[in-house]
Amino acid sequence: MGKIMTTADAVKKFVGDGDFLFIGGYICRPPFAAIHEIIRQKKKDLTITRSNAADDFDMLIGAGCVKRFIATFISLGLYGLARCYRRSIEKGIPRKIELEEYTNLSLPLMLMAGAMGMPFVPVKDMVGTDLMNIQSFMGDNKYKMIESPFDGTPVMVAPALRPDTAIIHVQQSDEDGNAQMWGIGGDCKWGANAAKKVIVSCERVVSRETVGKDPSRTIVPSFKVVAVTEEPFGAHPGYTPGFYDVDLQYGNLYKEASNTVEGFQAFLDEWVFGVKDRTEYIQHYIQKFGYAQYKRLQAKFDYGYTVSYAY
Amino acid sequence: MSNHPDDYIKPELMACCGAREIRDGDIVVVGTGFPTMSANIARYTHAPRAMLMQESGVFDARPARPALSVGDPCLNPGAAMIGGLVEIMGIFLQGGWVDVGFLAGSQIDRFGNINTTVIGPYESPKSRLPGSGGANPIGALAKRTLIIALHNTRSLAEKVDFITTPGYLDGPGAREKWGLPPGTGPQVMITNKAVMRFDKDTKEAYLESYHPGSSVDEVVKLTPWKLKVSDDVHETEPPREEEIRALREVLDPHRMIRIYEKRGYV
Repeated sequence: MGKIMTTADAVKKFVGDGDFLFIGGYICRPPFAAIHEIIRQKKKDLTITRSNAADDFDMLIGAGCVKRFIATFISLGLYGLARCYRRSIEKGIPRKIELEEYTNLSLPLMLMAGAMGMPFVPVKDMVGTDLMNIQSFMGDNKYKMIESPFDGTPVMVAPALRPDTAIIHVQQSDEDGNAQMWGIGGDCKWGANAAKKVIVSCERVVSRETVGKDPSRTIVPSFKVVAVTEEPFGAHPGYTPGFYDVDLQYGNLYKEASNTVEGFQAFLDEWVFGVKDRTEYIQHYIQKFGYAQYKRLQAKFDYGYTVSYAY
Repeated sequence: MSNHPDDYIKPELMACCGAREIRDGDIVVVGTGFPTMSANIARYTHAPRAMLMQESGVFDARPARPALSVGDPCLNPGAAMIGGLVEIMGIFLQGGWVDVGFLAGSQIDRFGNINTTVIGPYESPKSRLPGSGGANPIGALAKRTLIIALHNTRSLAEKVDFITTPGYLDGPGAREKWGLPPGTGPQVMITNKAVMRFDKDTKEAYLESYHPGSSVDEVVKLTPWKLKVSDDVHETEPPREEEIRALREVLDPHRMIRIYEKRGYV
């Protein structure tokens, strides 16, 4: 069975209600094509995680897809606090999500532990702060204080995370799912490898031979991958190094829209429910903002330097 | 002696105060805005071998435009190393290599504890804030943390609603009790009115210098705890000519730093 499929099929087949998802990205490479598809298919009761969440998580929360969020941080970056997230926590709109809060050190290490099959991982942060005093759906298993078996000093340990599915967006992948990424990584590599299965969304599908030209860039091997979807411009309004820049104008549009429930709903109606897939999304973008604006976001190619693996 | 141009704005002075805390050769974890400007002023003046990293995974970036976030695309081309959070927060920060971290927050107390989680009770918040992100580990593990704050009785607090990021927690000995690395903790708090340091014994912030245009009285009045004042309290040294030149000619030619005036840093 081939792994190349549409994002709609990948989400239909591999994302179930109630699943635990790792969603990669750090302004860099949020898998927006898949995010929109999850909303379009009205998935529900998801548990979602990654370090430094942004507009993509805010949108899933506002759309009512999320029950639980293993979090470290969420904002709209330059545009301030995440509106849907605030409405959820402060007013229960559309529902009050449950939060388990960690940090940008502990969460990546918990994913690393999951990827490596370790039961838990010592973390040196969080101690002494109120992050120890808030425990939600993970209860007493959020963390444990133990004495180091080696020298008796107090050590915090946090559990390994093993998401059901990871969804990541990368520059390129071959059709079996050898996924190649470059640039700022966030916790993408560890989150992908912690998950039981991976959906790879990519700017372009390349040959196995092309992957072999620079194999050090592969962050997840084919055997962990269940679906490969080719989605050019798939991380917009985030960016993909070598392909396109962050779209600040669109970021502002989302901020303004998400200020109110009605505005947010209208935004979804236009950009998610109003288009059938990413191709229509790009067409709508060009219709609305003009081809020049679309073109302006595209990166100038600067290959510069090729790596030799010869011996 | 340095010249001191008198046409500076308050955020520029604050950026310079931050720069003066950085030593040559320091490894500095930065966010955007003040931290990046401070660290770079230091690099262009007294600390050319200071090195910057962003938690998202970047070491020694050479951005062609000011980065608007720690994940900004301009941080990619030209960097010396790119990895991810496990590299920066795990290998370098938790590994004990980071000298300086910058922090800011919605609420900061007299021990330098910072709240970026919630205003009001956690379960029924008045205002839900973004959360820790990298702040807690930076405050826990960087050798010296520099805190940027607005000086008023809302941003500064006797006690924060929620300790997201550890300063000196509840005072002397608390960091050690929790096993945080020896000798770490807040070094200075730089506000739009003053520079405050932390007392070696009590771990409480005290007034070291007030900015030109302010006064001991004003700073004491705007501080919600009984602020101790240093015996040799003095006026903050204004930006030096070479600091201002680095800022305006190299780092921030469009003077984006003015945005901080709108946020109350006046």
